[in-house]
Amino acid sequence: MTETQLQFYLAVGAIMFSIGLIGFIVRRNLIVMFLCTELMIQGCAINLIAFSRYHANLAGQAFVMFALVIAAAEASLALGLVILLFREKNTLDADAWREMRG
Amino acid sequence: MLVQSLSGPLSISLALPLAQGALVAPLAILVLCIVAGVGTYLLLPGDQPVKFRQIGGVLITLSLIVIGLLALRNAEGGPMAATGVYFWIFSIVAIAAAFRVITHPRPVYAALYFVLTVFATGGLFVLLQADFLAAALILIYAGAILITYMFVIMLAAQASSPDGGTVSKGLAKYDITSREPVMAACAGFALMGVLLMVIFDKATTITPMPAPIENGVVAPADMQNRPTEALGDYLFRHQLINVELAGLILTLSMVGAIVIARRRIHVTLAPAWDVVEEVAPPSTPINDDPHSIPVVGTTNPSQKAYPEK
Repeated sequence: MTETQLQFYLAVGAIMFSIGLIGFIVRRNLIVMFLCTELMIQGCAINLIAFSRYHANLAGQAFVMFALVIAAAEASLALGLVILLFREKNTLDADAWREMRG
Repeated sequence: MLVQSLSGPLSISLALPLAQGALVAPLAILVLCIVAGVGTYLLLPGDQPVKFRQIGGVLITLSLIVIGLLALRNAEGGPMAATGVYFWIFSIVAIAAAFRVITHPRPVYAALYFVLTVFATGGLFVLLQADFLAAALILIYAGAILITYMFVIMLAAQASSPDGGTVSKGLAKYDITSREPVMAACAGFALMGVLLMVIFDKATTITPMPAPIENGVVAPADMQNRPTEALGDYLFRHQLINVELAGLILTLSMVGAIVIARRRIHVTLAPAWDVVEEVAPPSTPINDDPHSIPVVGTTNPSQKAYPEK
């Protein structure tokens, strides 16, 4: 794997991370906001695996495995919280919790 | 390149190709990010006319194509020698589907486009010889996480009432309006521009690692021929405690999700008017018999909460 190939993969990861960031700021649906965080996690995963391939070092792949574990744990907890919040206000709008701002 | 980065200090392998110049000029990245930012603003959920949305989609597509072509033009060894055609297919699918995730007003479709992104990312992982992670990504994301998302979306969509601001075609108001689209597009594309500039242009200014880390290094032949075996070998030889901790975290999150999302049932017992509660103060044991120790709340020692006989 050459330096140029590494740069292409890193660029794809950076673009996906930025798209996820924009979506997290813009969307008001709680579930879609969590989907956007998963997009950001995938952008990071592409970076890690590209570096793992470039250095022929498996630590990057192990990182991605643990990131997948964290993503699964986060998804289950986040959806539990979303269900809890939905029961309170009967809407998925994040702005319904506007009074929680500090 | 692999052998080089394995044997010698990384500065050698990092310094060689980048001395020839950047792949994409910083000015081009700046202009393209501004164009794509405007396109994203037009494409985000809101009350824009359909024509503006089409213009936004065209702008984003054009800027992505131009940045890809610019990077390819300066790539060493010709356009298709740098990366195979599969890289372009997978990355274009992944980025286009990611744009649809954040712009589609219906959450179910956004989740389905996210599945498309997951599959394309799995393809990129296969190209990077991370076979096991490609399979795990598709199984975990497309198989498990997304199904959970879909269940929650449908549960919420089914239960949402019309007074929650349903406008037209069954779409909720919060799904067709954006929160701060201008600021979000500016922030996101500023970040994207800086990242791309660092990746394509300023990589030489980053101080390389002094020496490659020995832990986790595999032979290139192993990475080519048996990547899954090598990963398992590494995980269970060097990262065993972390694997166990990952299992612990999954168990904890499962328990936590059950505790958080359970429905609380309030059981109202009938008031016990006829039971006179007599609270006795705790006192010292009467004799050496452990069963004679008085229990708080009752005067009868045989009514202990824990049967010891």
